[in-house]
Amino acid sequence: MVPARVTALVGKELAELARNKSALLPVLAVALVSMVLPFFIGLAVPRITGDRLSSDADLVQALAKAGEELPGALGLPDESAVQAFVFHRFLTLLLLVPVTGAITFAGHSLVGEKLGRSLEPLLATPITTFELLIGKVIGALIPSLAVMVFTFAIYLTGIGLLAEPGVLGVMITPRTLLLVFGLGPLASLVALQVGVLVSARVNDPRTAQQFGALLILPLTGLFMAQMTGIFVLTTGMMLLLLAGLAVLWGLLLALGVKLFDRETILTRWR
Amino acid sequence: MITASHLTRTFGARVAVEDATFDVKPGEIFGLLGPNGAGKTTTLRMLAGLIAPSSGEATVAGIRLSRETIDQVRARIGFLTEAPGLWDRLTVRQNLMVYARLHQLANPSRIVGQALERFGLQDRGDSLGAELSKGLKQRVALARALLHDPPVVLLDEPTSGLDPQSARLVRDLILDLRRRGHAVVLSTHNLYEAERVADRVGVLRGRFLAVASPADLRQRLFGSRALVRVAGEASGYADVIAACGGRDVLVDGDSLRFALDELTHAMPGIVRALVAAGAAVVEVTTEDAPLEDVYFTLVEGSEPAESEAR
Repeated sequence: MVPARVTALVGKELAELARNKSALLPVLAVALVSMVLPFFIGLAVPRITGDRLSSDADLVQALAKAGEELPGALGLPDESAVQAFVFHRFLTLLLLVPVTGAITFAGHSLVGEKLGRSLEPLLATPITTFELLIGKVIGALIPSLAVMVFTFAIYLTGIGLLAEPGVLGVMITPRTLLLVFGLGPLASLVALQVGVLVSARVNDPRTAQQFGALLILPLTGLFMAQMTGIFVLTTGMMLLLLAGLAVLWGLLLALGVKLFDRETILTRWR
Repeated sequence: MITASHLTRTFGARVAVEDATFDVKPGEIFGLLGPNGAGKTTTLRMLAGLIAPSSGEATVAGIRLSRETIDQVRARIGFLTEAPGLWDRLTVRQNLMVYARLHQLANPSRIVGQALERFGLQDRGDSLGAELSKGLKQRVALARALLHDPPVVLLDEPTSGLDPQSARLVRDLILDLRRRGHAVVLSTHNLYEAERVADRVGVLRGRFLAVASPADLRQRLFGSRALVRVAGEASGYADVIAACGGRDVLVDGDSLRFALDELTHAMPGIVRALVAAGAAVVEVTTEDAPLEDVYFTLVEGSEPAESEAR
């Protein structure tokens, strides 16, 4: 692999995105919803209804079960502890941000090149299939993660400013960081690789996006299971999940290189 | 510089190119002529290493095409594809910079600056691809294909859809490639263009119907034709022409048109015979059949290629 060729392609992807800001809209919309929702539930609803979160028996019970994953919360006053629990659980929803970004950008990746007729001259350069796929994936991963980190920063700032004192402090744990900076990027990578893989085999960005969107389902399921307490993602499980996603990404990348057939793409895209 | 030997490419049961054999030397422009679906683009793609031949072999820029050598070959060719394929949201300079980096050129900014100057695009460097006219896009695409100064240049319909002025500019740039010693393969529908720029042409319809210089093709198909104008009525001299080996003699007022083998050697004898017969010869010229006639004679006289027939 020649890194200079990959960085050339990544730079091109980012420059194109910089001039196509509307492509960011879906991911910004998801970021906004996943950010606003926990504040609405954790802060606005109790103020509107006059019922404190700590008076909800289900939430208190769920917090007691989750004590291991959020130990700092147990030392906080009841209302602060439940708020910390809610904000922490909603972190899973933030994972939708990079995944949505990945789906949006990857869908346009190779199909966009095909539709713009810019793929053939690109394939006539010495760039290898591996470099092309990696360049496309990284070019879409960077903006996806940038939006996620930005969202996470605003999320924490909002908690610091609006939530009960002490909530922010207990939120920042190794587990939180692992979830956001480990699971987020890897889930995004897998979504991207699926998107690029499908994008190389179809002629329509929407088809690629629909395949990529399948990855939203397990994430949504994970979020619901976390919220209802059916399933608690422990640190050990998260490490296992990270390893699984890393292996899956590697397999998808290898499959992409194997399936990416320049001849087929050039001769059957009409 | 390019040697193609019995190149054949099939797509399933369809034969796109059959038994294509030709070579192109440095400083030579080889024109690929043929109707739609004749296999021109497939031939170029095989030479560019984008499509593998089903059989046959090719050597491009001294490297034999194979799965192992494909990246080396791609580094030594410049391929102008049928569509310019610029990235519309990037500026002209950015478009070229990406390719300069993909080719790992040292000092890409300087090389891109030189390319912009060479192709008359200095004041367009900051224009977006989407803002350019088709002619300008084609010039940028040509600049892009030549950034790395490849010894072999493959041009697929380079002037297709361009206005006459832009087409002329592109043709001048192609002629400049010959002067610089590049081996150029040019696919075109434009017979005028082929006649103007190509040293040799290959008339393709699935398989090569002929490969030669335009002049040789004319000679081969129509022989040489001459026109002699005399003072007064020419009809009395038709027999003189025929007696000297002239064929298909046509008389039109003061003019005699006829076909002749070995025109250069035979013409002085004909002029002497006409003068001896009392003709006052006013003008002697050769008449070339246009390449268009050559093309249609070859193409219409051939069976349609399998790719067209289906």
